[in-house]
Amino acid sequence: MTGSTIDHLVATTAFIAAILLFIGLFTQTLQAAILYQQNRHVALKASDLLDNILLSPGYPYNWGETNATLSVFGLQKPGVSGYVLSSFALMRLISLSGEPVEYPRDSGEWYNNISLGPSGYLFIPISDSITYETASRLLGVNGTYGFQLSITPIVKVSISESQSNPLTLKVEVDGPGFPLSGATLSYYLYRSYNTGNYASLELLTGTAQTDSAGVAYLNFTFDGASESYTIVAYARLSGLLGLGHYSHNTYTGGAGVMPFVVDYEKGKVYLAHSWDVHDQGVPVPAYALNATFFILTEDFEFQEWPIANSTAILNYGSKNYEITTLPVGCPGFLLVTYRISAVEYGMSIMPWGIGTLAVSTVFGDNPAGNVWAATDLRQVTIDQMAYQAEIICWSSQGYQVWNPGTGW
Amino acid sequence: MMRTIEVSIVILILAVAFISATFFAVLPSPRQVSSLSLGQLAFTTLQVLDTGQALAETVFKNSSDPSWTDFEIALSACLPPNIVYNLTVYDLIQTGNTLTYSKFHSITNSEGGLGTDSEASSYLVTSTNVTFTVTPEKISGTLYILNCSDANGWWITGYTSQSLAGDLYDLLSPYFNTTIMVQNTTDFGYLLDGTKISNFPHENVTNAIILNTFGEAVPIPSSYMEYSEDSFAEYCYALGQRVNQYNWTLVSIVGYPLYYVSNTVELVSSQNLWGIYGMKDVGPRGLSAFLQGLANKAYNPSSDSIHGPFFVANLNTWATYYSNYYGIYPSPYQSSTRSLPDWILEEYDLTIDAEYGYVFQQSGEWIAGATYSHVGADEKIHGAFTALGLTRTPDVRVTALALLMYYRPTLYKSEFTLTAGERPTQRLIVLQLSQQGGS
Repeated sequence: MTGSTIDHLVATTAFIAAILLFIGLFTQTLQAAILYQQNRHVALKASDLLDNILLSPGYPYNWGETNATLSVFGLQKPGVSGYVLSSFALMRLISLSGEPVEYPRDSGEWYNNISLGPSGYLFIPISDSITYETASRLLGVNGTYGFQLSITPIVKVSISESQSNPLTLKVEVDGPGFPLSGATLSYYLYRSYNTGNYASLELLTGTAQTDSAGVAYLNFTFDGASESYTIVAYARLSGLLGLGHYSHNTYTGGAGVMPFVVDYEKGKVYLAHSWDVHDQGVPVPAYALNATFFILTEDFEFQEWPIANSTAILNYGSKNYEITTLPVGCPGFLLVTYRISAVEYGMSIMPWGIGTLAVSTVFGDNPAGNVWAATDLRQVTIDQMAYQAEIICWSSQGYQVWNPGTGW
Repeated sequence: MMRTIEVSIVILILAVAFISATFFAVLPSPRQVSSLSLGQLAFTTLQVLDTGQALAETVFKNSSDPSWTDFEIALSACLPPNIVYNLTVYDLIQTGNTLTYSKFHSITNSEGGLGTDSEASSYLVTSTNVTFTVTPEKISGTLYILNCSDANGWWITGYTSQSLAGDLYDLLSPYFNTTIMVQNTTDFGYLLDGTKISNFPHENVTNAIILNTFGEAVPIPSSYMEYSEDSFAEYCYALGQRVNQYNWTLVSIVGYPLYYVSNTVELVSSQNLWGIYGMKDVGPRGLSAFLQGLANKAYNPSSDSIHGPFFVANLNTWATYYSNYYGIYPSPYQSSTRSLPDWILEEYDLTIDAEYGYVFQQSGEWIAGATYSHVGADEKIHGAFTALGLTRTPDVRVTALALLMYYRPTLYKSEFTLTAGERPTQRLIVLQLSQQGGS
């Protein structure tokens, strides 16, 4: 009797222990399988979402060139097939890469800031921009999946000053994999010079070729330290096209003249005195500005295009801005040169369409806090420039998708 | 003891089940959970490298040509560093009904194979020698597109004048030596005074085309505000005189021409009776005065409206021909509510060429869209006027077609010069990609 009881006790204990152990073991396997399945699904969704965004122009088709309310979200250039994106649709996306800017100060009017680096500006009214929430809702993933889309040039063209007198500029051309050796480099150097009240532009053009390290040196005959200039250089090799720009200003007391796109649909741009954006204390200089718009031709050349009110004198308090108009739907860049005194000049540059100055943009939500995110990649062209479109996608619901404590 | 043995057997069965499940239910490698879509990456890479047909040019060159080295550098540079590739180019050779793929050239950056996880995409290119290209003849007259930022449009619902100006620039600028956007009414005033507004070498105010993108309104410069008689009908008369004087072609893209004048600064407190400020309602006298100015007749504008009733206007035969010729395809059926009567031809010494003047078939006495040329006493043309009396909203392709019909620039089309059997005209490129590192 005692033996039978012991037998039952040992058997029951061992059975319960074994059941618990195997439940744990099987659960682990099942859990891994479920997670795999879920993550695989997110990865497929990432790929699907990226193609949906890149292969549809959205509706209305020309929404990138108007203030139209979107009913379908997509970035493809209207009337073109394949992975060719509209450089104007991309301009209307609220960028994560730059802090919004209020203009005029304390006015409550905020501008989406697509950062370009020193002297490069692109400010679009937030009221005219497309938010992540809108895009997410139109793509049908609001509340179920999150995403972040990065559009970056494949070829990075970096320009720096190697020697100031006489000026020598160093141009480095790199892809994500290797430097671009043997690339043909063409440049447009716009140099400010004094002609009465307003500064004018002198254009110097030329070509060069990168060496085996993807580097080229451009030599000029003037003293770079005492002159204001902006150079736009593009590198081309076997279908790959990349672009970079660099500005040097002799005036360093402030941001100078800052272009703001105030009416996107009409292409209306304010050439604003920087005092209206950042008060950098007295003295506040007057800027005699001269604005020029260069349109991008089919042969990838920049051709001057006449614009309204291209010259003005900005003086804070009395005339804080000048209004000009850019051609809607015609990519190019706006170059503003301004004079403070006989020896102090500055230049600002603004792309009109993100492809013309190889601007990067990041759109979407922040993936921080999610346990797992999938990425996918496509090569695309924008205004003939080679770009990479990368998506990061994550699930907003389901098992083990979010870990607020530890990040991802 | 028996129970313990039974439980041991159960544990053994469970253990075997677990081991079997673990052994057979192998999860794929982590890379496969979220791998890059290498196939898509390969395809889009080839597409990017073919921008401007650069890829097509390279693959039809001899395999020892230096452009292959450039292509290899470009391919390596645009792929992420952990991606290895194998690119193979095949000739497509057709023998009778059989198509064979013959390997022409191959490049790779991987010494071994790319493994089973690789993906490939194919891309078919055609030799640039057989690419069909079209080069338009350039019209010598300057094309001015009114893009004034200080004027408002009417009957261009859904568009702005600036967006229409941009579209028309895209459509028409390839056909003109010089195309200039007139950015404000001041510049338009200079044109009316016969002064150039740019430093473009080929700009010529005489024999120019003035494209009014403001619909039923026309911009009025500040310097012409004194021409205010009869609600600015006097300005329309002056405009007609300028068209005659400079032998311009003035184009009205939609609706009743010259029904309003607009200047957002000078007419800031006026509105067009529909709540649009910066405009003044001229009424039917605008067109009447313009035609009198064009015909060099005395100023005596009529306030009678002369437009026709609603009808569906059909593209005429020649317009359809030119539509195919220039590849511009507006709808062949358009709604017309602002057609003009044919008696104006005699009244104002106008003529419409049967082949290249009419855009739409005439419906009774009503002309929905045409280019009217004014014939002077010397029997030469002194100015023209394109009026498209269609209902809003405007389709600028009709405008482009009307202008191209009138000027008829020739399209020079490239010929297919390759002889059969000379060399393959198509090659297939297969790009195989694989990821390196990790498992």
